[in-house]
Amino acid sequence: MGRELDKLDRKIVEKLSPDARVSNRQIADELGVTEGTVRARVKRMEEQKQIRITAVTNIDRFRDAALAYIWVEVERSDQTRAIAEALAEVPELGFVGVMLGRSDILAITMVKNTEHLARFVHSNISTIPGVRRTESSLGVNFLKHDYRMARIVG
Amino acid sequence: MNNIAATEGPGQIELDDTDQGIIDLLRDDGRMAYRAIARELGITEATVRARVRRLEESDTMRVVAVTDIEAAGFGMLLAIGVQVENRDPEAVARDLAAIAEVFSVNVVVGTHDIEILVVAPDSAGLNDLLSETLGRVPGVRRLTPALAVDVLKNQPDWVPFHGA
Repeated sequence: MGRELDKLDRKIVEKLSPDARVSNRQIADELGVTEGTVRARVKRMEEQKQIRITAVTNIDRFRDAALAYIWVEVERSDQTRAIAEALAEVPELGFVGVMLGRSDILAITMVKNTEHLARFVHSNISTIPGVRRTESSLGVNFLKHDYRMARIVG
Repeated sequence: MNNIAATEGPGQIELDDTDQGIIDLLRDDGRMAYRAIARELGITEATVRARVRRLEESDTMRVVAVTDIEAAGFGMLLAIGVQVENRDPEAVARDLAAIAEVFSVNVVVGTHDIEILVVAPDSAGLNDLLSETLGRVPGVRRLTPALAVDVLKNQPDWVPFHGA
């Protein structure tokens, strides 16, 4: 794979995962390496998209907000990529993946209720040329999302 | 994903434009210096520091390092629909959430009872995870997996802070 993190990378990431505002100096002191090493490693991991340091906000802040899984089936398989790219452009969608099994594309978003979901799918997804049908699951309890892990793209 | 027009929950702090400006900048670059944020927003560094502390202490925002799944040694990402029998789906979901490879758990209404996102190192590891671990959680009847072959977008900045 070549992109896999080595032992020291992982130790640095462990320090950064819960609170990425911790200083390079503090990480360096705790791991017994130089500050320059930490800085260079963090820079490389960010540049090579092995890690992403970012702010996340708490979904619990939003009352009546639910996560919706929208499965999209395409008319013809050669349209899958283009439709997935079109979906990735929709700002409300936080996840877009081309899938094998169950359906062709999975898109995930956050909505207020069933009505909001229906409206969103109707006006933002069903209108994309080549979308044959969609099937949605609406979340009633978003129990876990380990924000320390994601597929980093773009 | 911050485009939702949902109202704030009870007991939450009110966010103004300054808070939102700080969150937006830190979303782009979580390690941006307070001084640079202050300059960008035309406020003092002390204000930035105080606002960030308030956002963190109220559990509104966290600045974290997100590791790429491949860089962490997992080659496979799957979305699995879980059908439950003879047990409360919430209880099954809690058991699933305790498994490290299961990084997202959502109790849903639809064809399945629970939707989970999981990672596996390879197909042998995946097979173990499905049949030995997930399939044996009490109350799990059927697992319906879909393998992600191309992830075009993955920026969940909406996450529950409890449990993760």
